[in-house]
Amino acid sequence: MKRLCVTLATLLAATAASAGCGGSDGPAGGGPRTGGALTLAQTSNPDFLDPAKGYTVEASAAHWLIYPGLLTYRHEEGAEGSKLIPAAAEDLPEVSRDGRTHTFRLRKGLTYADGTPARAADFERAIQRALTLQWGGLAFFSVIEGVDEYVKRGKPGADIRGITSDDRTGEIVIELTAPDGRLGNILAFPAAGLVPADTPLEDLSRRPPPGLGAYRFGAIEPNRRYELVRNPHFALPGIPKGNADRITVKLMKSSQRQVQDVIRGRLDWILDEPPADLLSEVRTRYGDRYEENTANSTYFQFFNVETAPFDDARVRAAVNYALDKRALVRIFGGLLEPDCNFLPPGMVGYERIDPCPYGDPAQPPDVERARGLIRAAGSEGAPVTVWGTDEERSQRVTEYYTDVLNEIGLRAKPRIVGAETYYAAIGNVETRPQTGFLAWFQDFPHPANFFFLVAGESVQDVDSVNPGRVSDPDVNRRYEALKREPAEQNAAEWAALDRLVIAPEKALVAAYGHTKDTTFVSERMNLEDCTVYHPVYRDDWSQFCLK
Amino acid sequence: MATELIDRAPAGPGGLPGEEAAGVLLAPAAPRSALRRLAGSRSALGAAALLALLVLAALAAPLWADHVAGTTPYANHITDRVEVGGKARDVVSPDGVPIGPTWRGRFFLGADVNGRDIMVRLLYGGRNSLMIGVAAALLTALLAVATALVAGYFRGWVDGVLARGLDVIWAYPVILLGVALGTAFAVGGVRLGPVELAGDSKAIPVLVIAVVYVPYMARPLRGTVLALREREFVAAARAQGAGAVRVMWSEILPNLLPGIVVLLPLMVANAILLEAALSYLGAGVRPPEPSWGTMIDDGVARIVTAEHLAIAPGLMLVLTVAALNVLGDRVRDALDPHAGAGT
Repeated sequence: MKRLCVTLATLLAATAASAGCGGSDGPAGGGPRTGGALTLAQTSNPDFLDPAKGYTVEASAAHWLIYPGLLTYRHEEGAEGSKLIPAAAEDLPEVSRDGRTHTFRLRKGLTYADGTPARAADFERAIQRALTLQWGGLAFFSVIEGVDEYVKRGKPGADIRGITSDDRTGEIVIELTAPDGRLGNILAFPAAGLVPADTPLEDLSRRPPPGLGAYRFGAIEPNRRYELVRNPHFALPGIPKGNADRITVKLMKSSQRQVQDVIRGRLDWILDEPPADLLSEVRTRYGDRYEENTANSTYFQFFNVETAPFDDARVRAAVNYALDKRALVRIFGGLLEPDCNFLPPGMVGYERIDPCPYGDPAQPPDVERARGLIRAAGSEGAPVTVWGTDEERSQRVTEYYTDVLNEIGLRAKPRIVGAETYYAAIGNVETRPQTGFLAWFQDFPHPANFFFLVAGESVQDVDSVNPGRVSDPDVNRRYEALKREPAEQNAAEWAALDRLVIAPEKALVAAYGHTKDTTFVSERMNLEDCTVYHPVYRDDWSQFCLK
Repeated sequence: MATELIDRAPAGPGGLPGEEAAGVLLAPAAPRSALRRLAGSRSALGAAALLALLVLAALAAPLWADHVAGTTPYANHITDRVEVGGKARDVVSPDGVPIGPTWRGRFFLGADVNGRDIMVRLLYGGRNSLMIGVAAALLTALLAVATALVAGYFRGWVDGVLARGLDVIWAYPVILLGVALGTAFAVGGVRLGPVELAGDSKAIPVLVIAVVYVPYMARPLRGTVLALREREFVAAARAQGAGAVRVMWSEILPNLLPGIVVLLPLMVANAILLEAALSYLGAGVRPPEPSWGTMIDDGVARIVTAEHLAIAPGLMLVLTVAALNVLGDRVRDALDPHAGAGT
């Protein structure tokens, strides 16, 4: 069999260079095939390969498969993929009546990729590492009792009061500072993925620790490539064991070259969307191996509700009436799902707001009505500075948006600054930004992870993610009550909050849509059966397979 | 007026005199004969005519915008449709590809991704690029002459301080220094005593370009001043009781003018190029204000599907800089009696 494979590979070399020959156990009539090697590409480096530090999309795509925690997400598309399932835990937690104590039990007989047996105490180590190494989402763990104290004390490896474990019984008890419906999502971050309790409290990006997932890190060449290979000890039910034997991820700066390499079969998949120049060609000529999926993201213009003219809801509503979502779709090169909702379609609680109070997103805007509202508010000629970054989409949107504001009677000019300084600038109260560009991609699939952007709790004087300083009593009250419970329990209430935030009498933001992620694969990849667009981690590498 | 012969200074960036150019001094022909030589040069006349055409076109930008294109350089027409060859076409297609040249009044050279008329932006961009180039070159000349006069005339510690200051600026690559200053000023603006410039002011690229190019003009001029201050006519003026300012103004400065006249077109060309580079890198003219640099930046990402976006401003830039360089060379030849007449 092996000889036959080599012969076939030689014959097909011109069209399928480096095609893997490991797969022999796939179904003869199509469907997922296991085995083989895949080559993927990313434009940017993962920030860190150590799960206790990695936070970017580039890092989490691999970490998700390598470092499952007590809980993880179903490897499914759409709303199913947002559902939490037990991973290293035997089951979902038992929750005390007051909602503050969550008790897990570790599965028996689990072994890490290096053969080390898993113990209940490993969970606390994972959290200690994330806190000590200052993981980007560290603040999420503050819901656990004793975490803030651990951070303040600055003593690596100290006990975290809210986490107790018993290696003998496998019991892990987590005490919260207050009931919080986001806990399951927080525990599903790869940063909370289990690692052996003796893992050093230092950045191990060059030699990442073993995990319990279907894959482990193989060879790593910093800034060039890294590999994922099968974990021979993988034994978590309900999680795919992975189709490919080996996944090599290359780091390539040129997105043009990435696309050309996918076309020629030198790469099997690319993380980033094809550049604007090649997108049309990819769509039309290679449509059979290209897909678009709406990401759990939201794009909107923020309004500073404390500063004129946007302290008047009529002015904010006027902007919403005047924005032409068809124009914004074009600016995004077609990679925008125009929408009225603040919540994205893949999120629990999403109910398409139809009819949209500002008109059909597919129809021209009501500019006359917008002008009338500006006049009624006495804001004609009001000076407005529109903030945006110098990144392609942001700059284009900012320039368009400025033109719209001028068209409805305001006196706007754009302020384009480097992306590296933008968020610090608009998040500083001293800057007093009036309005500007914002985009948000979920940290986890819970509506609270979107609505905190317009909740009073996120108003800060520096580094604020709520630069509009929105603190509406109605919104705050509902948000504070809802965020304490798992999202699924209150889907209808979250949908109502979504309608409230964009309603003309509030118009707290001008939301215009959700971006689309692209999937572009090589000819030898099986797009139909083996690409699962996950709502949190995008394309699921573990389900990629060859034809 | 004393006359000395200029030697050919080794080139710095963009053909400007280099570091070893100290001591250059131009010995001009009489102005009338220089003008005659210039008028006899076909290449000089061609370059001057091309420059005049470009300047006129830039000045006529509002006329084209109002009466032909019917738009402004800032107006977005993303969802508009325009008739081309009897068919209505999207100005920007649903997947974001802008229309190419229609060769008619509206969107004569096509549109950009925001549906803005490229021809209108090209003309307004030309105004900005030329204005910034000329203003920056004049400011460079002003600062360079003042520095050269003071440093070269007083010598000693004054020269030491000023020359080291020029060395510091010289030590940085022009683009890097320009980007650093341009980016810093774009965020916070500039406050120089009572003068306050907003972050999006076009005076900021003028200031940045002028500052980074001062050493390239000041160093050769300083060498000339050092040589001139030892000449008999300067000694005679001092013996007659003329003060330092009067000697610099009346005796030395007139002898620097021919050199400045030669350097100025080259300086304008380099300033326009640097403005384009800074704008391309996001540190020059601030959007949505057009300049040829920002327009090239807008077009590069779509060079395959909408090549007109980068080619049109790029061509204007090349024509302008080439014309200025040719004109600069011919002016130098005309002022230098030892050089052959340009053709």
